[in-house]
Amino acid sequence: MSAFFEVSSLGVRIGDTTIVKDINLDFREGEVTALLGHNGSGKSTLLKVLARQLAPAKGDVRLLGNSKHRTDARQFARTVGYLPQHPPGTDGLTVRELVALGRYPWRGPLGRYTSDDYELIDQAIADTGLTPFRHRSVDTLSGGERQRAWIAMLLAQQTRCLLLDEPISALDVKHQVETLRLVHRLAEERDLTVVVVLHDVDLAARFCDRLVALRGGQLIADGTPQEIMNSGTLETIYGVPMGVMERAPGQWVSYVH
Amino acid sequence: MYVESQVATTAPRLPGKLPLTAILLWLGALAASAAPWLPELDLLSVVSAFWSYDGSDYSSVLAHFSWAPRVSIALLIGCGLGLAGAVTQQVLGNPLASPTTLGVEAGGQFGVTLATLFAPALLAFSQDLVAVAGGLLAIGMVVALTWRLGFSPVTVILAGLVITFFMGALNMAFLLIKGEWLGNLFIWGAGSLVQNSWQPFMDLWPRVLILGAALVLLMRPLQLLQLGQASASSLGARVGLLRMLALFLVVLMSATVVSRVGVVAFVGLAAPVLARLLGARTLQERLFWSTLLGGGLLLLADTLAHWASSWGDGSLVPTGTTMALIGGPIILLALQGFKNTHHMPGQESNPGAFLPKRRSVLVTGAVLLCLLLVTFFVSMGWSPGLQDWSWTPITDWGEAWVWRGPRLLAAILAGVCLGLAGSLIQRMTGNVMASPELLGISGGAALVMVLIVLTGTEIGRAGQLGAATLGAAAALGLLILLARRHRFAGNQLLLGGLALYVFMDSGLRLVMASGGTVAAKLLNWMYGATWLISETEALSLLGLTLVICLGLFVAIRPLTLLALGDTSASSLGLPVTRARLGLLVLAAILTAAATVVIGPLSFVGLIAPHLARVLGQQTVGRQMIISALAGGLLLALADYLSRIVIFPSQLPAGLLAALVGGIYFLWGLSRHGRA
Repeated sequence: MSAFFEVSSLGVRIGDTTIVKDINLDFREGEVTALLGHNGSGKSTLLKVLARQLAPAKGDVRLLGNSKHRTDARQFARTVGYLPQHPPGTDGLTVRELVALGRYPWRGPLGRYTSDDYELIDQAIADTGLTPFRHRSVDTLSGGERQRAWIAMLLAQQTRCLLLDEPISALDVKHQVETLRLVHRLAEERDLTVVVVLHDVDLAARFCDRLVALRGGQLIADGTPQEIMNSGTLETIYGVPMGVMERAPGQWVSYVH
Repeated sequence: MYVESQVATTAPRLPGKLPLTAILLWLGALAASAAPWLPELDLLSVVSAFWSYDGSDYSSVLAHFSWAPRVSIALLIGCGLGLAGAVTQQVLGNPLASPTTLGVEAGGQFGVTLATLFAPALLAFSQDLVAVAGGLLAIGMVVALTWRLGFSPVTVILAGLVITFFMGALNMAFLLIKGEWLGNLFIWGAGSLVQNSWQPFMDLWPRVLILGAALVLLMRPLQLLQLGQASASSLGARVGLLRMLALFLVVLMSATVVSRVGVVAFVGLAAPVLARLLGARTLQERLFWSTLLGGGLLLLADTLAHWASSWGDGSLVPTGTTMALIGGPIILLALQGFKNTHHMPGQESNPGAFLPKRRSVLVTGAVLLCLLLVTFFVSMGWSPGLQDWSWTPITDWGEAWVWRGPRLLAAILAGVCLGLAGSLIQRMTGNVMASPELLGISGGAALVMVLIVLTGTEIGRAGQLGAATLGAAAALGLLILLARRHRFAGNQLLLGGLALYVFMDSGLRLVMASGGTVAAKLLNWMYGATWLISETEALSLLGLTLVICLGLFVAIRPLTLLALGDTSASSLGLPVTRARLGLLVLAAILTAAATVVIGPLSFVGLIAPHLARVLGQQTVGRQMIISALAGGLLLALADYLSRIVIFPSQLPAGLLAALVGGIYFLWGLSRHGRA
């Protein structure tokens, strides 16, 4: 597997505060990676740099070997999709209209939507289980449904990579699991590269191929769930004494002492 | 994979009331407009007036060359501005943005004022050019100031508002200095649609059509802006470029209109708001229906203006004024109606408040007090005479006092009042941009005064103060009522204030357009002519201020508590409603007292509290003390300068304060962006 993103000696500063310093990291194609860390550890910032929402102060991020700002904005949007942590209100758009906006990178300001586009849109809505809600206004949906609508928009974007910033924070357990399972399944079917910021380390270990942890803007752990899910590493990540049990192969339960 | 629990619903359809309203509006406005002609011409010839006329019939000629072009141009401009307004709202992700709010129209007007005075040849060459240049200047300033803040909607509107007021003040300054040249500009400035040939319409329609088409082409990228900056750019839209391009087109559209007919302020704001209220949901629907409603609204306003002109004493009522009368209530209705403005599309959170280092209140206060005393001495003593600058010896101060004392004292007191009122209102609303001027509270006071002048009653200073207090309290009460639901979010307050300002402005223009002696007096008062103050008035103002200051001591702690929110404040034992009411009355009296002296537009109520914060005073009590001193100092300086700048003539001190204050505030805003 080749590297999708190559992050080299990355540093980000906002004002005088250093948010991320000197990170070297590769994200491999077709891999689902979880970004872990406590609040303010720089996870979201790293994700924003990958999504080109934020320019790094130092270092470089290469996408498929190309350096920054080489690709046109819409070109980039056809390759990488990004879901912000707090999607704004959508002011009366229905679910279907929102998801249809995901086709913009492919059709541009004036291009006609073909029947293929509408198929993709309906497929994305079906994949996220929103078909019954497709004509409802996004603002009137519950938090979880709204989050799924935004994920559906990303699916309709048909990118090779998804960057998700806490996509399951507003969901109940059932929908958390189903959303992650969906992401996992899509990643396998379409060979997607996924980077997802998660707070629930057990779910991360269950559904991701690789866990990457940040603390104070620095990389402190990087490996397969097998390598990360032990009490020592979790303690370094979260700064509280923790224990881990492996109930079955690939299924861990972590707890706080 | 998910359980399908809900029954599928059909796609939402366009509510029927939208086309119905649009049709009724158009038909009603057309019928009302055509009604006066019907006794003289039959229906068919009224309709055919749009393309032909009967040379032997005078009314037919009149209808063809005066009425028909006027109707056409009203519809055309209304449509153009409606579209421009809807696009602006989408670009800024703010349901209450418009070309007016961005200062475009004030800028265009400023351009034409300058050209009229200094380069009339340019005006003959091309009106569009100067107006577009002025509009671009205004919006350029707004963009430059807010660039670093990523065009955050509240900041953009704030900058636009300050620039609107600022350019208005500049216009006034020119008017006061070179009034004899600019009389017509007032009528023009208020938007008069009177036509006497088809030529202007023929000039205008291709431009409006081309600009409109260009705006419609931007539709799909504009739609992405609804998803917020992050998502829009991750979908491949170049957000900054897109916003610039769309705003540029909007400027072209509004400035083209402004250069022909003057400021027709509310169409661009009211039409999209109305479309939205009636249920236009998607961007396509909003653009289409705002365009139509804009045309209808402006025609209706123009018809009203026409009727009012012919029914009244023959004095010209500009369309801009009647438009404000129709548009104002729609805006207020909208403020009430929008539910989720906290999550407007594309709205980012506010930039982090910047907190300067705390400083000792004693040192800062002492320094300001010293400066105030120095200003007092210089203002009393050092002045230009007929030959030269000279010191008035301290023994002669008794005589000089009559001329220089009362106005200086009144200016200082007005500054103190505005400083206090500003701090009070900022704390009450928990919004650092709130101020008596920007929220239209001064405007409310001024509106009452304008009305009094209009009706021609003479009520003396005490009566004026009472009336002004009533106006200020009404404005503030209305704002609090409206904004409470939105927890005093910036947009609602500022736009409510703008609505009041435009109301006041159109009332003022009405007075100006009718001319007469009251007009000049009113104009001087509006811009704070301190020389109108007598000694007894100054002294009674002093007494009033002292009494209110005592009242404020009681208010400090409730104010601190109210900032925690109603629930927390009442659970800490504060009678919230009564406290709010008391503070409301205090703020209204303070604002009114200051407005009577210095006029509604001095910016001191905005700057003084801000200055106090910059000087490191964060708690309520300290901020009030320092802001009162700073306000007094500012207006004392302004009063002194107003006497000497164009000696032996005088400028109103309030105008001077507004000019200086506007510059300070814009500078502060840009610095804020850098921090």
